[in-house]
This record gives sequence, structure tokens and C-alpha cells, in this order.
Amino acid sequence: MIATNCMRRVAPLPLLVVVALAAGCAHEKTQYGDARATETVTNQFGSTDLQMIAESMTRSMLQTPLITSGNLPIVTVQEVKNKTSEYIDTRSITDSIRAELQKSGKVRFAVDAAAMQQQVEELQRQQSELYEKEQAVEKGKMVGAQYRMEGNITSIVKQAKDVKDVFYKFNLQLWNIRNGLLEWTDEKEIRKTTSKG
Amino acid sequence: MKWTWTIIALLAAALAAGCGTKKGFEKPGFAYGCPIGDQKISSMEDLVKAKVAYEGKRTTIAVTEMRCTMSGDLIKIDAILNNDSSRVKRISYKWRWIDREGMRAWEEEVWKPLLMNENSNIGVTGIAPTNKAVDYRLVLLSQE
Repeated sequence: MIATNCMRRVAPLPLLVVVALAAGCAHEKTQYGDARATETVTNQFGSTDLQMIAESMTRSMLQTPLITSGNLPIVTVQEVKNKTSEYIDTRSITDSIRAELQKSGKVRFAVDAAAMQQQVEELQRQQSELYEKEQAVEKGKMVGAQYRMEGNITSIVKQAKDVKDVFYKFNLQLWNIRNGLLEWTDEKEIRKTTSKG
Repeated sequence: MKWTWTIIALLAAALAAGCGTKKGFEKPGFAYGCPIGDQKISSMEDLVKAKVAYEGKRTTIAVTEMRCTMSGDLIKIDAILNNDSSRVKRISYKWRWIDREGMRAWEEEVWKPLLMNENSNIGVTGIAPTNKAVDYRLVLLSQE
């Protein structure tokens, strides 16, 4: 009886060894990667898509006569509507576009609606008795944008048994605020297909 | 008779000169519209060799043509890539921008994935992000 019990206890031992070995092999490893490498972990919207869209839109916009004329147009960034079925931080796309354009030195950006609250609060704070009157910024000196940038991103998702195809279309527009004319627009299309097996 | 030989000699010289200027009337330091500095570039092959760089596993995709122009004050490049194999190939590419001092004029671009069908050509266009970029490299990476 005692021997049988002992056998029962010993029997799972090889199993435990295998589990322990497997756990040992599956240890986590963290490494830094290339932030600009093509990312294909899933076919959802990813870093490569964001970077490609920002780069493509910026380079296209830099070629418009409006910008090549060297008049340093003042632009405000408005919303990029996410019309896809997944969550995409569209603000991150417009932030990247704005950063690239600003770095090019050919466009200036006026404070946008999202940052207006903070801008007004700072202006009002400087009007308080805490600040020296001579050095505090004056009200009524803000510069309005001449152009507004807006856009949208849409997707078409098709899925069969072993294949999933995602097609993204990003559209960006630059509108003249004064006369309502469309000064520039461009699109970037991306197709990603995932197949099993 | 003497005049005939003189005319023939002149014609031959003119023809030779014509053949020798296949790049047309180009500014010194440029070939096919592309900046080459003081490099000796006498053919498209030479230009491609000077401007194309490979990273990682060497791809069999070849750049067959490259031409440059100016878009405002920004350099713009059109390159033709060729897949002469009977298999679909996947590569990534990016442009590297170089300033007057030979330093990087802009941060590294994102690798742009490209699918090339069998026996096909595809054109890729690069536009400099800044007028500080006066030279460039097309960098290719195999994704096979």
C-alpha cells in the first residue's frame, strides 16, 4: 500500500521536469528594436502605417505651390476622422505630420482647437497680479491661421477562412480659411494581408 | 579632294562629340539631373552604383534607372526597380538624405515595404524633406 502511494507521488515527476524545462525555455527576453523597421506583428494599424502616412503626406504637401512659394503659410490642425472599425490615435498621425512640416521650416502652425484652452489659460494667468505688467504677454496678439488641415482615415476589411485583408485609405486636405478653397489634398493607401498556414 | 577629307573629318568629329554627350547639356556635378559632386559618372549603371546602398540581406531587386529634378528647392528622385525573377519579391526601401557637408540632412526615414510581382518594374519617388538635403542614397533591404 505504502509502495503504491509512493509510486503515485513519483509518477508525475517526469511531467514536472518537462513543465519546468518548458517554463525555463520560454523565458522573456527584451531587446531594443529599430523604431523605423517594418512592423508586421498583426494586420491592425501599426507604427509603420503611421510613419509611412506622415512621411508621404508631408513630402506631398511640401511640393504644393502654396508652400514652395516660401510665404510661410500659417496652418491649424483640425481633426482627422477615424472611420475605420478599429481604434486609431489620429492625433498621433497629425502630430507627426505637423512635426515634419515644422522641421522643414516651410510652414508655421497656429494654436489649434485642442490646445486653445491651455493657450487661453496661460494668457489669462499672465494677466494676473503675479506677473510684471511690462513682461506679461498682451491679449489680442495671437495670429490666426490662414489654412486648416483636416482629413479622414477609412478601412475596408475582408476576411475569409484563412485570409484577412485590410485596406486603409488616409486622406488629408488643406483648406483656405478665408475663401474656403481646397488648396491641396492627397491620399495614402496601404494594403495588408494576413494568411494562416 | 583635300576639302572632301576635311569635311569627312569634321563630320566624324561632330558625330563623336554627339555620342559623347548622351547626358545632354548638364550642369557640372550632375548626371541625369542627380548630384554627383566630383565623381566620374559616365553611365546610368555608374549613377545607380553610386546612389544605391544595401542593408541586411542583399536583394536581387535591381535599380535600373534613376533621374532627378528639382521641385521648388527640394531634390526629387524617380527610380525604377526591376524584379527579373519569376517569383514575387518583397523588399523595403528608404531614402537617406545628405547635406552639403556629407552629414545626414534628416533623420532616418521609415522603411517602406514594397511588393514586386514577378518580371515587373516599379517606380519609386523620393522627395527631400528639406532644402538642406543636396545628395541622397536609395537604401534597399530584402524582406525575404
